[in-house]
Amino acid sequence: MALLEISGLSKRFGSLLALDNISLNVAEKEVHCLLGENGAGKSTLCNLVFGVYRPDSGSLALGGKPFSPKSPADALRQGIAMVHQHFSLVPTMTVIENLMLGRARPVLEYSDMIARVKALDREYGFVVDPHSIIEEMSVGERQRVEIIKCLLGDPKLLVLDEPTAVLKPEEIEALLSICRRLTEKGKSVVLVTHKLAEIAKVADRTTVLRHGRLVETVTMAGADMRALVRSMVGRDVTSADAVLAATIGIGDTGEPEVAAAVQREAPAQKTILSGNGIPALELKRLTFRGRDGVCKLEEVSLAVNRGEIVGVAGVEGNGQNELETICAGLAAPTSGSVKVNGRDLTHATPQEITEWGVGIVPEDRHAVAIIPELSVAENLLLGRLDRFLRFGLLNRAAMSEAAAALMRKFDVRCESPDLPMSSLSGGNQQKAVLARELSLDRLTFLLAAQPTRGLDVGAVEAIYGYIRAARDEGLGVLLISSELDELIAVSDRVVVLYRGRIVGEMAANQGNREPIGAMMSGHASGHMHV
Amino acid sequence: MSRSHALRLASKEFGLTGKRGHVFPALSLQIGVPVAATAVALLIGLAIIASTGTPLEDAIAAFWDGMAGSAFNVGASINRAVSLTLVGLGFIFANRANLTNVGGEGQLAVGGMFATAMALHGAAALPLGLAFLVPLIVGAAAGAVWGGIAGVLKAGRGTNEVISTLLLTFVALPLVYWSVQSLHLLRKPLTDLSSLPESPEIPEATRLPLLFPSNQTSPLHIGLLVAIAALIIVAVVLQRGSFGLKLRAVGFNQIAARRAGIRSGSLIIIAMAVSGGLGGLAGAIMILGEQFYLTSEFSSGYGFDGLVVGLLSRGSAVGVVLGALLFGFLRSGSIDMEITAHVPAAVVLICQGLIVIIIAGSAIFVERMRRR
Amino acid sequence: MTEAQLAFFLGSGLRLATPIIFAGTGEMLSERAGVLNLSLDGMMLIAAFTAALTSWATGSPAIGLLVAIAVSLAVAYVQAVLSVTLQANQLVVGIGFNILALGATTFLYREIFGPLSRDTIPGFAQLNFPWLAAIPVIGPALTQQTALAYVGLLLVAVTWLTLNFTSFGLSVRAVGEDPRAADEAGINVIKVRYLAVLYAGALAGLGGAFMSVGDSNTFTEGMTRGAGYLAITAVIFGGWDPWRTLAACLLFGFATALQFLIPAMNLDIPVSLLLMLPYVLALLAIAGVAGRSRQPAALTLPFERAS
Repeated sequence: MALLEISGLSKRFGSLLALDNISLNVAEKEVHCLLGENGAGKSTLCNLVFGVYRPDSGSLALGGKPFSPKSPADALRQGIAMVHQHFSLVPTMTVIENLMLGRARPVLEYSDMIARVKALDREYGFVVDPHSIIEEMSVGERQRVEIIKCLLGDPKLLVLDEPTAVLKPEEIEALLSICRRLTEKGKSVVLVTHKLAEIAKVADRTTVLRHGRLVETVTMAGADMRALVRSMVGRDVTSADAVLAATIGIGDTGEPEVAAAVQREAPAQKTILSGNGIPALELKRLTFRGRDGVCKLEEVSLAVNRGEIVGVAGVEGNGQNELETICAGLAAPTSGSVKVNGRDLTHATPQEITEWGVGIVPEDRHAVAIIPELSVAENLLLGRLDRFLRFGLLNRAAMSEAAAALMRKFDVRCESPDLPMSSLSGGNQQKAVLARELSLDRLTFLLAAQPTRGLDVGAVEAIYGYIRAARDEGLGVLLISSELDELIAVSDRVVVLYRGRIVGEMAANQGNREPIGAMMSGHASGHMHV
Repeated sequence: MSRSHALRLASKEFGLTGKRGHVFPALSLQIGVPVAATAVALLIGLAIIASTGTPLEDAIAAFWDGMAGSAFNVGASINRAVSLTLVGLGFIFANRANLTNVGGEGQLAVGGMFATAMALHGAAALPLGLAFLVPLIVGAAAGAVWGGIAGVLKAGRGTNEVISTLLLTFVALPLVYWSVQSLHLLRKPLTDLSSLPESPEIPEATRLPLLFPSNQTSPLHIGLLVAIAALIIVAVVLQRGSFGLKLRAVGFNQIAARRAGIRSGSLIIIAMAVSGGLGGLAGAIMILGEQFYLTSEFSSGYGFDGLVVGLLSRGSAVGVVLGALLFGFLRSGSIDMEITAHVPAAVVLICQGLIVIIIAGSAIFVERMRRR
Repeated sequence: MTEAQLAFFLGSGLRLATPIIFAGTGEMLSERAGVLNLSLDGMMLIAAFTAALTSWATGSPAIGLLVAIAVSLAVAYVQAVLSVTLQANQLVVGIGFNILALGATTFLYREIFGPLSRDTIPGFAQLNFPWLAAIPVIGPALTQQTALAYVGLLLVAVTWLTLNFTSFGLSVRAVGEDPRAADEAGINVIKVRYLAVLYAGALAGLGGAFMSVGDSNTFTEGMTRGAGYLAITAVIFGGWDPWRTLAACLLFGFATALQFLIPAMNLDIPVSLLLMLPYVLALLAIAGVAGRSRQPAALTLPFERAS
């Protein structure tokens, strides 16, 4: 008998049909992977199982009995636990306080909980200090706390939503082995991912979702990887460019069937335009010390030439944020200089930066790049409102026209430029941000941080397409991403950022993937021009 | 874009009023709820009055008389509405940038105080109408400074402007008290006949000219014109000006606005200063147009009422005017009701509080209807 | 300054601080849970009036106190319905309640007490023990206090214990920082916020009742004089921490007491400046002169689980 039985589940959000008649089951002691690109409906399905949403139609059964959770608490009580992409930990409280939330007796007794945590530590190999504060912990550590939190209730089923997206390469290995150990202890795991290579290592069965529909459920033993790729992406893929391969997680993982499933095209000839010799961006000994005295960037020097894409590899939190905010004019470095096209912009304001031809696609799209409540046109043209003034008042019609033209050029799909930005999908929002930045006058240099996070394959390809096209026209691009494979596929050369320092620089090809990965974790340093 | 969609956007642009002739369920709800709330509150008020034993007809008669019983009273009610409108406009102006200015009472108070000071010390000699214009401007400037302080605190230190403007009010009111207490400041000289803590009357030249000077029964003064001008300017700037859009951007997301090149800090300070300035203008008008001398309690809650009007208008300038008229007429009626029918004016306070609470509580239903 | 003046100053400072301590402590808990009660002043006023009325009618200040708390709880409940369930703008609700409270208490006062406004009402007696008076420096000040003052201090301790050592306190803190995370941990965010608002209401009721039956033994229109706003300010000044809020309340109480001390010492400082002193102090505090503190992240933000 299956542990969890899902029958005919559907869910609609407004006009979007997120899930359409999904039926699958999860067996006991199994690692069941949910595979699909971003936007396929995987998270929605998990949230339905966990009681965050209620289905529009269909039913669930747990251990044979009907199961319709009205809230996460309900689901927890019945033995289902979930680790979301966005952790539900209160940042200002400690680990132990977070664990006690909703579980403690009226008067708090920490010792009991600490003992249980230590027992779990021994069983599964976690290493977590119960008294550290969440906001001071790394993402990987926080995820472990989330898993511990789930295990406290001794669940029968553990749902992990895209857990590897935020982890370092070695942490991913650790997580996958935890999944296996969980099944050894009698539990089932549903692992949501869009990376094919991961499921190859750990899944018993895989269900593929695409655009809210279930494509197939496959037993991994003896599975045809090529068919899986086809199910996931929706088209026959006999050869894929490096970007696509990277996006669906086929790197040099050492798994021959996986690599063989998709033959990679030979990388396109990468030419570097010489321009007039002045680099698009020149950072000289850039140092940034935060308010707490910690040095986030140390003597960073690098140059991005015109007609070149330089990728910045590194695990999040090693100085990328600071690099981005300094280049955007939102923070001043403690020492060092930033020159764009020869002009010193070290202490420039965001307005000046834009005027001098710097485009920024920030990492946190929702928080800083767009204002969701304003319309698409307003977002696109916010920095250039003075061009649309007529007698001191805004010429809305002209704004709509200009916005619509921009949207057509960059394939931003939306009914009208006057609709709020929030009505666009993630991919279209990012395209809009790129459209805005790439259409700046005198654009010399573009900084794009994590530009494809959370986007489906189509959007990823489009975004990199536009960036490459701009590069071909002479733009200098600094690409910051923790998706190593994508970075290698798109960049001309790669620098590695570790603890605020540039620890290495290499040509961007797959042969260098391992040394780059090693540098990202701080195990090596070196400069190789191959 | 479909036609109904376009119309919906247009109605959002203009606040309460939609294009002529088109009425949507959501729109009628926006007008209907305040009307219903007022009706309910007034009914409850009547019930309370009835419970005191006062005959309802007397109370209602006195109330109506105070509101609109004579041309003079209508004029006085409109004058009250003028002050409330200005404070309310100030509120929605700052609110456009997601700033909540609850310090209208204090800004009004310092505005009146400085206008009086200007009127008593030198403005009377100014030619060409400057005699009353200068005190008006000085009053507005004082209010702008008062609001600007909160703006500076917010922009520089992230201080919550709700608390800071509220605190500034409780600093402003004793200031006014002090100014009329102290002979060194604005207090009128002690005589055998009177030693009240209030200022001398302002000279004739500094008083706001009447709109209908030949008509003895109308107290309407040019303050009405000032309010109408302010209404148009504020509405246009907020809806159609690039400044209004920048305010919205800053209000939604300061960081994203900065990245777009908008100087968020300056904008916040300007928004709070304009907001305070409108409040100060209201206070100046009250002194220069009606009261003609400063007392410590002259603000008498107009700032708070104006702020309530602003809150309830949900960002619409037209809504401010309607709310100001409502509260202005209510206040006139309540005064007469207390004097003539001996029904405590506090009953109207009860009604006002109920109106506010009912409208606030129903906001969620209005929102849900609008979303459909 | 004479010894008698000092004693009087300390004593009146404590007396003036007491209602703020009550209201501030309760409000602190509510704000830790994310709900701002701008209507604190109104709740205190209603409680003051109810206590005065009941005490006068029954002759017992204790019954007056209890009825006042009950009424405050009812008012707080309505406030919670509006702020938490109906997700109304917490500022609007607060100001609306204050207007309503002022109107209702003024009206009822005139109708009921009108001709009797000179009457004093039965109030709590001051605890005037000889051994208390013998304590050096603060002894005479302490003898001016009623039992309620000590109840106030006790409540601060109780609130601190609750917040840090009970499961409810943990839930309150979580709900105020990250209600979504609390919700996913299985905590009933709505219920926690309701309880927090009721707690603030009960304590505001105690504070208001103190003003009429514990301190002045009378009721005057609008007698809270903004004490509720001062309490909210004290919470911010105290960085949403129970003991620092207590310190802030005491500071404001003593600042207000200066109003009486300065003229008694024949210093020619205008009363107005003393009237505004607590608020100026509070302004300086929130302007960051005393260092910044972090407000609960979810303060004034309503919570709705997406469905």
